[in-house]
Amino acid sequence: MEIYGAPHYFTAGVQAAHRKMTEPRSPGMSSVPQVIPTHTEPSSQAVEMDPVEYTLRKRLPRKLPKRRNDVYVNMKTDFRAQLARCQKLLEGGGHREICVHGLGLAINRAINIALQLQASSQGALQLAANTSTVELIDDLEPEDPDEAGEPMTRTRNNSAIHIKVFYPDPQ
Amino acid sequence: MKMSAAKAKMREKKMRNQPASVQYPESSTEYGGGADHPVTGGGQSNVRPFSKRQRTPPNRSGWVRGHQKDGGGYAREMPKFITAGAFARARAAEVSAMLKAVTKTTASSHVFQTLPKHMRRRAMSHNTKRLPRRLRDVANRMREKSLLASSKKKKEPAKSKSRKARRRHGNLLLEFNRRQRKNIWLETHIWHAKRFHMVKKWGYCLGVRPTYKCYRPCYRAMSSHCLLQDLSYYCCIELKGEEDKLLAALSQLTSKEGGPTFAAAMCLSGGRQGSVTVYRAGQYPSQPLGPVTYLWRPRTAELTHRQLWIWAHPTLKQDLLPELQSVCLCSEAVVTPVEPEVSCAEADPTVQVEAKSENIPDNKLKPGAKRKRSRKDASEPAEKKILGDGTRLPSTPVTWKSSSTGIVINDLTMEIVRYRLIGPQSHSVLAETLEAATVCDASMDLKSPSLWWPQHCKDQSNISLHQQQTGVFDLLKGICSTGELSPGTVLGLTVDDPRLTLPQKKVKAVPCVSQAQEADEEKRRELMMRGVPQQCCQSFLWDQSVRDNVTDNKLSEQELNRTRSELLVPGSRLSPTPPQGRVPILLVHQPGKQVGNELNSWGAGWDLLLPKGWGMAFWIPLVYRGVRVAGLHMSLKHSQNKAAPHFPHDYPDCPAGARFQEEQEAEFLDKFRRRPPAKRTNYIKHGCLAPFRCPWQQLAEEWELLTTEGGAEGKGYGQTESTTKTDVIEEVTSQQNIAATNPSSCFNVLRNRKSLRLLSAWCRPTASRGKRQRPGAAVPPLTPSAVTSFNAAHRMSLLWVRLTLLSKGNPEAHAMVCVPTAEDLKLFSKNKAGSGPQEPPHKDHFKSRIKRKKKGSKKAASSLFSSDDRASDPITPKDPQSSSDLILGLWPDPLPSVTSHCSRVTLGWITQGDFSLSVGCGEALGFVSVAGLLNTLLNQPVEHRGKLLLRNPTSLHYRFVKLNIDV
Repeated sequence: MEIYGAPHYFTAGVQAAHRKMTEPRSPGMSSVPQVIPTHTEPSSQAVEMDPVEYTLRKRLPRKLPKRRNDVYVNMKTDFRAQLARCQKLLEGGGHREICVHGLGLAINRAINIALQLQASSQGALQLAANTSTVELIDDLEPEDPDEAGEPMTRTRNNSAIHIKVFYPDPQ
Repeated sequence: MKMSAAKAKMREKKMRNQPASVQYPESSTEYGGGADHPVTGGGQSNVRPFSKRQRTPPNRSGWVRGHQKDGGGYAREMPKFITAGAFARARAAEVSAMLKAVTKTTASSHVFQTLPKHMRRRAMSHNTKRLPRRLRDVANRMREKSLLASSKKKKEPAKSKSRKARRRHGNLLLEFNRRQRKNIWLETHIWHAKRFHMVKKWGYCLGVRPTYKCYRPCYRAMSSHCLLQDLSYYCCIELKGEEDKLLAALSQLTSKEGGPTFAAAMCLSGGRQGSVTVYRAGQYPSQPLGPVTYLWRPRTAELTHRQLWIWAHPTLKQDLLPELQSVCLCSEAVVTPVEPEVSCAEADPTVQVEAKSENIPDNKLKPGAKRKRSRKDASEPAEKKILGDGTRLPSTPVTWKSSSTGIVINDLTMEIVRYRLIGPQSHSVLAETLEAATVCDASMDLKSPSLWWPQHCKDQSNISLHQQQTGVFDLLKGICSTGELSPGTVLGLTVDDPRLTLPQKKVKAVPCVSQAQEADEEKRRELMMRGVPQQCCQSFLWDQSVRDNVTDNKLSEQELNRTRSELLVPGSRLSPTPPQGRVPILLVHQPGKQVGNELNSWGAGWDLLLPKGWGMAFWIPLVYRGVRVAGLHMSLKHSQNKAAPHFPHDYPDCPAGARFQEEQEAEFLDKFRRRPPAKRTNYIKHGCLAPFRCPWQQLAEEWELLTTEGGAEGKGYGQTESTTKTDVIEEVTSQQNIAATNPSSCFNVLRNRKSLRLLSAWCRPTASRGKRQRPGAAVPPLTPSAVTSFNAAHRMSLLWVRLTLLSKGNPEAHAMVCVPTAEDLKLFSKNKAGSGPQEPPHKDHFKSRIKRKKKGSKKAASSLFSSDDRASDPITPKDPQSSSDLILGLWPDPLPSVTSHCSRVTLGWITQGDFSLSVGCGEALGFVSVAGLLNTLLNQPVEHRGKLLLRNPTSLHYRFVKLNIDV
């Protein structure tokens, strides 16, 4: 099971993985909190107003080394399967604690999983949630007829949650 | 009856020493006294039988075994009387002939063969004393004779030398060179041949799949670790010239409608690899040649000329190269290199003589090297290992230049080794394997003035460039997954010989978990955003002289092992790096899956470009880092998972693709015919017209006609689909000949990005999610008028689609894509998990004809049969071809209407289909007719838009699929 198949767990939020944008600040992008128009070539500072069409391609979010007890939640795998995976880690896997990570749309599901785990353990498990911001990178490929456009990249931020699910120490 | 040639020959050999004829004509007895010398047959009485004999074939004249049909032997009527004298004489002649035959030995027999079996003993022919005494003399004589003969023979089979001699290095190389005269071996051939099923394809010997089972491990390697492939068979064509002239020439081959071309700004700077579909000059929508990838050399201060590498598949090269020559006006073949630079082959011998006295290892190398070189000079390529293209004659030109445009085309086939690493961990593998070259100091410089690296180290700018590149490469180590980089990034680098750091055991490369410093983190972020800085894309691999120098001065494996054995600590890294051990390389990032919304960047990786000769030196260290190695089969699966068309399989409109289809059909047909007829699938009964190929041309033509007819009839097509369909189809069948003669040319595959995008939007179900999809760019709604205008713009075109199965089922190649009827869709919406509709079994009208033909051939009345058979045949008498190539279960050649043959209208076929491990259900890739698809979409209710049916050639079961057009 590909858990950190990163794009799945946030593309569900913003459906089209690529879209033509005549106006980059269209309402469709309102889900993106800060659009940082950085890192274009200095000459094309007015790129916002450029009539050139761009194709948006999202890169994978930064991947970090994964321990055995890390569970990255996505929106594509069935919820029950993900829950079962967590339960297996806690019960059969012999881990005292696991970390459930969720990014973007999957935050909701990550919380759900954690709560379900707690509920099914009759209070033996405790939760500790942390939030963070993940920087994501988009590539903008120009689609102009005279092919002079430079490709651009921009960053946007997305929220993420990291929930520690653990058995508290006896003392 | 005829005797086979071999039999006749054998008999002739046996009869060599026998008397000519022992036959005495029986019929001579009819006339008693007339026959004076019966054996010779001179008498009048013998005239008739003898003349009769002479008419019969000559091999008849001896004895013939068995009863003969035309009554050669027996006379019908018994004689009334015989003359005693003549009769006795005739018998006497017979007896004497028989005696003669018995006493004379035939050629093949040995002496002991004259003995009865129970008297034979083992090794009689060897030891004559085992024979009875009366036969010994003869046996001795025979033995002497045979000894003489064998001694004469012994001279020529000297070719089977002892194994030791054969395995001697020089002889082995000679043998290898002989074996790759027809099909070139890649540098990793021997490694592959020990582990892979090899095929001879496209002029190369290539590995298809490993001999061990590894389909899933290879998939896992692709999606979570790293998979390695040798892509050196891809051909590189180098173009040199001024930038605007090059672009002007190349612009004829491409069109901007199909995406970025050679002139795209991001690729032109050299910072990225680009890919483009090439057409014949000025023919844009029609006559495509195939896809190529290209790489510009970054601009440098000193060079005014630009350099461009075009990488193409070997089957594409034969079409591409003439086309490039014609657009660049390069007709003059140049045999010697055009560049006036000092080629190292000339420079080397003198240099080596100078260096002779200086250091011992060099000295040891030299005799061998010199000997090789001198042999080469004497035009004897013996013992020299072929590097690069071995099949090419030395006189064949590889360089063409144009006097008018100044463009130089250079065929670099097999000059550059290309390895592909696929998978998210591929660059931790690279980071572990490669180590940036250590800079030489001045002392090393003096020792080996011929080597390129010390000379480059003299230049400060080169060193600073190298340091920058090293810095970028070190930064890359901190990145965990290949998909995080900007697609198509290029990085030039100079590395140390990777054999120096070969681990003792195979290890699995893992990303290095290092807590990056704040400064590093900032740098890394910069790299991700901006990509590799412009100047770092430069590599000395572009330089022909450097490439040759590196190839010629490679440290041999033997020498390396010797130095290794002298190490104080066994297994430690060899240091200092020998001066020869620096190799310029290029790393090219391969974007993974970019189209569609799922599995983004799946299968991203790196390509590693090396100078020739260094293939194995990099291959083994890579393998020791725990990568999996795969062959052609996996590269097909890789592109299938990426939903990308694979060349040449999925380019039916390209000449190479058409050739491939023919080959594939022949291969499948051959396989089909090898089965016993009773065990073959009867494709006629399955309603499958063409199980081994896809008649694209016919499909496009039929849909073209259908839509024009539909347009004439108005919008009635949609509502009463079934009735009008049949009408129209009948017309189609009648008008097929007209369409065939119509010069409306060939079908083509739609590659116009804008149109593809429009289609992609149309075929999505525009239900609840629809509003969120495209707020800015409004898609024109799917209306009949829009469809007609679209059809008019793209006539006879096919569309590359991805079909995902909605329930179970495993699609196969050449499966049919069909249109569901309204009832099918109704049933489907009621019961989602239910299986799809069934095709009623068809009737095989050809079966009886084949049977009759078989009977007919026994009766040997074939000429009569075919005419009256056709008159009585119940089906459409559309195939007036000879019944000889009727194959049971296959539809004979002029196919009936392909669209309307089954109960559901056919839209297209699948070219690749399999259970997709990445999606977790059956997934198929193929083409459908654009006109047909639009017609279908128009008539489908909105919520079911893009739902089609798929049916395998060997099945009657339709399965529901979801259509996706990925742009």
